[in-house]
Amino acid sequence: MPINLKTAVVETREQRLGTIIGWDGKASDLSHESAYARGGCASKCGPKARRICELRGPFTQGSICSEQMVECQAGNVRDAVLIQHSPIGCGAGQVIYNSIFRNGLAMRGLPVQNLHLISTNLREKDMVFGGIAKLEQTIRDAWERHHPKAIFIGTSCATGIIGDDVESVATALEAELGIPVIPLHCEGFKSKHWSTGFDATQHGILRQIVRKNPEKKQEDLVNVINLWGSDVFSPILGELGLRVNYVVDMATVDELAQMSEAAATVGFCYTLSSYLAAGLEQEFGVPEVKAPMPYGFAGTDAWLREIARVTNREGKAEDYIRNEHARVKPKLAELREKLKGKKGYVATGSAYAHGLIGVLRELGVEVDGSLVFHHDPVYDSQDPREDSLAHLIDQYGEVDNFTVGNRQQYQFFALLQRVKPDFIIIRHNGLAPLAARLGIPAIPLGDEHHAVGYQGMLNLGESILDVLAHKKYHQDLAAHTKLPYKKWWLDQKDPFLFARSV
Amino acid sequence: MGKKTKQIAIYGKGGIGKSTTTSNISAALVEAGYKVMQFGCDPKADSTNTLRGGEYIPSVLDLLRENSRVDAHDAIFQGFRGVYCVEAGGPQPGVGCAGRGIITAVQLLKQQDIFEELDLDYVIFDVLGDVVCGGFAVPVREGIAEHVFTISSADFMAIYAANNLFRGIQTYSNKGGALLGGVIANSINTDFHREIIDDFVEKTQTQVVEYVPRSLTVTQAELQGKTTIEAAPHSEQAGIYRRLAKRIAGHTESKVPSPLDAKELRAWSAGWADQLIEIERRSERLVANA
Repeated sequence: MPINLKTAVVETREQRLGTIIGWDGKASDLSHESAYARGGCASKCGPKARRICELRGPFTQGSICSEQMVECQAGNVRDAVLIQHSPIGCGAGQVIYNSIFRNGLAMRGLPVQNLHLISTNLREKDMVFGGIAKLEQTIRDAWERHHPKAIFIGTSCATGIIGDDVESVATALEAELGIPVIPLHCEGFKSKHWSTGFDATQHGILRQIVRKNPEKKQEDLVNVINLWGSDVFSPILGELGLRVNYVVDMATVDELAQMSEAAATVGFCYTLSSYLAAGLEQEFGVPEVKAPMPYGFAGTDAWLREIARVTNREGKAEDYIRNEHARVKPKLAELREKLKGKKGYVATGSAYAHGLIGVLRELGVEVDGSLVFHHDPVYDSQDPREDSLAHLIDQYGEVDNFTVGNRQQYQFFALLQRVKPDFIIIRHNGLAPLAARLGIPAIPLGDEHHAVGYQGMLNLGESILDVLAHKKYHQDLAAHTKLPYKKWWLDQKDPFLFARSV
Repeated sequence: MGKKTKQIAIYGKGGIGKSTTTSNISAALVEAGYKVMQFGCDPKADSTNTLRGGEYIPSVLDLLRENSRVDAHDAIFQGFRGVYCVEAGGPQPGVGCAGRGIITAVQLLKQQDIFEELDLDYVIFDVLGDVVCGGFAVPVREGIAEHVFTISSADFMAIYAANNLFRGIQTYSNKGGALLGGVIANSINTDFHREIIDDFVEKTQTQVVEYVPRSLTVTQAELQGKTTIEAAPHSEQAGIYRRLAKRIAGHTESKVPSPLDAKELRAWSAGWADQLIEIERRSERLVANA
């Protein structure tokens, strides 16, 4: 059984999938070492063994933790409240997440509002005497202030260590208030990669919000697991006569509850959608669309065809695919002409990068290097049709310098020196400033749907042209700034030197 | 598959005979044909020794220390008549966090669905009774053990510890966690011991599940690295452990405990102390008159 909803605590990604955060080599080698290529492990190691030899460095410069992923998922459910059961420092991200949330709502045409996040502000005496009374009070305060449809409780390292019994408070208050009160176990120390925080949120939603035994089935509804991106899925799926149920961010509690009524679940990135989609299929019989992700022609074609097959709409899909190919190809040819000889570098989340590299290759942009923040040797469904890395290699060929690293700036310098790209694509903070000081502009894909589908190829092509127009500015930056590293480190060719010398 | 595993927690202060008693209960239950797992929740990781010929087994946390991913099966060992033995393990004294260790170990087995996979009839958690933090309370929380038993002798310090445990159990009992099944009275060799324990359980509205006398047979068995059930199956002591196991197996109704508060406990023990002194005096007088 891949997903165990019987226990309140989600199994970490490394435990479930064998996730790694340090690796360097050819993309094809990583693909070969991953579970899909090796097939079922016939020896005694069983279904859970997906071991890839991992580079483990002794030094980490900056990262993210699972709790923050809970903030930016559970915290972004519009009519719910997220309580951070933590010292106040864990709430430092509220400011930036609020701006992202408000922007996202505006992009989607939804009423703009602030996040509803409350910290229990645990202090010394709460560590000594327990934080449960404070949590109970905070749940009541959240109810008084916002009358939410659900209350999420994100745990913290502090409460995990003292063993605060969050479950029993949640159970009691759920009965009293008559709304789901959902503990999400996201202690930062539990997992080496922050994506476990996505899984923690989705685990809680599967356990306590998704409607069990739904009375009706909505045959034209498709769950789309995403973040804050603009509404590109409604027009695409609308062509097949399907409606979109965007989850988890910016959804309402009822939209989360109705996931069990949908005809299928899709995503734009298997890193994000793996757990929830597999859980919906396993527990509620809602099929997960198992196909390459919707990037580039081959991926988008296969993705649409699989949605159409699962929802019995094959004819409509073929018409749409034909029309879109005809519409996009001439424009793509123009872009390819303009982008000839350019080289790009993708530094994003794992599965998402597999998709973006494909789009760059469709645009005729050379990609011989990429940094992904972690690697899952297999996704929760374990279905090889979801093997996004193999799809990239099969369709678009090798990526010679494929690196797995959890966003370490000190390594990024050598990574960029290896391939000297004309631009980079990012979604997370911390990498663009370093690239800028090397004269390399960055495309920040704040809208994660920007490169999705047929139109996405054109969108990304236009963004590259835009950013290349800033080349001179970046060259000036490079000429007048220096990096904060010693010459010795800048001279090193191997970004994993520290890891290899341990 | 499909049957409900009965989960039991046994708490007692250090050195009271907790692991000895628990291992004999486990041995008696496997002997009676049940599938049993004993889960030691003590950083010393020696709860199950006498079920395995005195041998230490690698604990869940030993495995975690060496591997980034743990297959819970690697922490499960079989002992006397197939009993499953697991030790949570933990840090060396004075470092790290033993409580977090218990949380981590219990979660790991639950997440990997071990109890159901092994189709167990009983899981018995043997827990260090000095419940100093939330971690040590994990086995009595909602969704784990349904019944908790405490082990106590008639020694006042042991009774204080049992009363303290009742307080902890009370916190969780009221929130859907384990309920108190009763007290296993250990090292009870005189009527006087029995009276003290009986009075305590009466005052705290619980019951004695079994009176277990101190016995040399137990010591001899332990020195051989065995339970009494295994080493001296026909002894009187083995019979007592079998009776205890049967009571625990048949036990269904547990209650929220009613611990004494500090003042009541002081008054209660002072009352017994007066009686003790009185008895001492009488015996001295007897000696003097003789």
